Amino acid sequence: MTELTNHRLDTAGFEAERAEILQSWPTGTGVSFAEAVKVQEALPTEKRFPVALAAADAQGMTLLQPRAGVALVREHAALLNGLSPYCDVLPTTIDAYTRHNRYTEAQDGIDRSRAAGTSLLNGFPAVNHGVDGCRRLVDAVSKPVQVRHGTPDARLLAEITLAAGFSSFEGGGISYNIPYAKHVPLERSIRHWQYCDRLVGRFEEEGVSINREPFGPLTGTLVPPFVSHVVAILEGLLALEQGVKCITLGYGQAGNVAQDIAALRSLRRLAHHYFLNAGYADYKLTTVFHQWMGGFPADEAQATAVICLGALVARQARATKIIVKTPHEASGVPTLEANQAGLKATRQMVNMISDQNRVDSPDIQMEIDVIEAEVHAVMREILRLGRGDIARGAVAAFQTGAMDVPFAPARANLGKLTPVRDNHGAIRLFDVGNVPLPADVLAFHRDKIAERALCERREPSFNMVVDDVRAISASKLVGRPA
Amino acid sequence: MSTESQDYKIVLGVIGADCHAVGNRILTSVLTQGGIDVVNLGVMVAQDEFIEAALSEQAGAILVSSIYGHGELDCQDFRARCEERGLTDIVLYVGGNLVIGKQEFSVVEAQFREMGFDRVFHPSADLQEVIGLLKADIDANRPAQLARNSRPLADERLGLSA
Repeated sequence: MTELTNHRLDTAGFEAERAEILQSWPTGTGVSFAEAVKVQEALPTEKRFPVALAAADAQGMTLLQPRAGVALVREHAALLNGLSPYCDVLPTTIDAYTRHNRYTEAQDGIDRSRAAGTSLLNGFPAVNHGVDGCRRLVDAVSKPVQVRHGTPDARLLAEITLAAGFSSFEGGGISYNIPYAKHVPLERSIRHWQYCDRLVGRFEEEGVSINREPFGPLTGTLVPPFVSHVVAILEGLLALEQGVKCITLGYGQAGNVAQDIAALRSLRRLAHHYFLNAGYADYKLTTVFHQWMGGFPADEAQATAVICLGALVARQARATKIIVKTPHEASGVPTLEANQAGLKATRQMVNMISDQNRVDSPDIQMEIDVIEAEVHAVMREILRLGRGDIARGAVAAFQTGAMDVPFAPARANLGKLTPVRDNHGAIRLFDVGNVPLPADVLAFHRDKIAERALCERREPSFNMVVDDVRAISASKLVGRPA
Repeated sequence: MSTESQDYKIVLGVIGADCHAVGNRILTSVLTQGGIDVVNLGVMVAQDEFIEAALSEQAGAILVSSIYGHGELDCQDFRARCEERGLTDIVLYVGGNLVIGKQEFSVVEAQFREMGFDRVFHPSADLQEVIGLLKADIDANRPAQLARNSRPLADERLGLSA
């Protein structure tokens, strides 16, 4: 493998790599690109993800999308059809074995699920079901379907699902490595995702638009907005270089209303800034807001309140799409009914916020200023480390800790940056680690944390962080001492 | 590390293809502060890795976490595998969201106890309670020793832990 750079993969190399990937598991031989283009072209308008996003963006609407995936095709189709009346676009959540390319274990899970009469897998094993199984699924539903997963090497998954008529693909070389893997080198996952993006680029060249969505929330636990914004911008740039044209950037709810609104508003602006400055103009940008990704209350009424707070913020900040949680979140994979309940609660909230005036306040503007200063500082360092190349720069930045994702399992992540909530629940930096933020920004973080420490009459420490991680599941936002 | 924690050494990890790292960090932090010597294997740990670590570290217990729903598949035959490898008396705990979907906890608990786990916890278990149970279970499981109730001399302790 040649040294990683942010350049479009050349055709000969891509074709050679594709031949190898399609041989790596028996269902791969069912993929033909010419056939795949025909399948995509034959999709009716109402099943095309980019069309749904563009319409929502043009009309200022917010789309609702649940998460869902079970082991078998027929059961999964029934699940999606049960969710379909309550949402705008559909998901297919991939199981955790497939995410790690462990197809033998996925097959075992399929067999045992068949025997048990219930899904023992936490998602849909699309690679094992192959192009035919996935096509049966796409044919059985009436809305656009997206692949949602967490796969560092998703090349075969992308080939199979896009050949079957899925029209959106989540993930990225950073966002599907750092929070989702342990030993995968970052240069390898970025390179594998250049392949996925190039595949989408090839469809675009054939006149078939496919949506790409870098995964916004990362570890979902007290992630400072600038951290996820930098990853979103990097993955957007990497995708654009490979010919992707329809990009949805994401952000996961942190909990403080002003900070969350500021984060979504700044994300769109910052992304355009970096995309246009890098010379890309022919793209469509939309946003996705993830309802709270951390620990949920076990009580279903309390969980619904968390869901509604997310819906309020997403709609207030005019996200193009919301990824909806369920009242079963604390117990893992939800039932159809619980999933419907999350969608209904979100819809009610979105409808009630839709007609209201835009909320603005000095607090929101101040948060935007801080996020922008942070993102620019880190992006400058990434460009410096990569000598102008963001792929190389991203790898180097994670090595030095100039980029650092809190609570991530990956060895490729330094893990020194430690967040904590301030007195109002906004996420600040307890330990900046090696992230090169400006002195005035650091002073701002210090002051905000000091204000909380004074109020709680205790020194800031890792215990405060632990309290914050567990606070929302214990019905609070800030983890105050008992 | 205090001599106390040497007495309560455990192996901790998230089993299977599960990459949920947050609870693992919290458990490590809270158990360590509770006087337990934690050998943390992190996320995505195979059964054999747990067992090898417990053997080489002479741990008194293995704490298995699983939050992503595949616990039922990943934990199959864990106790039998421990015994095959010569870990006959180890305390086995499991906790998290162990099955797909919201199920009655008592049913899940019975299922995992049947699989050979000594105790089964849900994700919101009180960690101070867990620490108390863990120490008691490790103590109850120690092989009978001569003079078990007397305090060893300081240098004997050093010899033991070297």
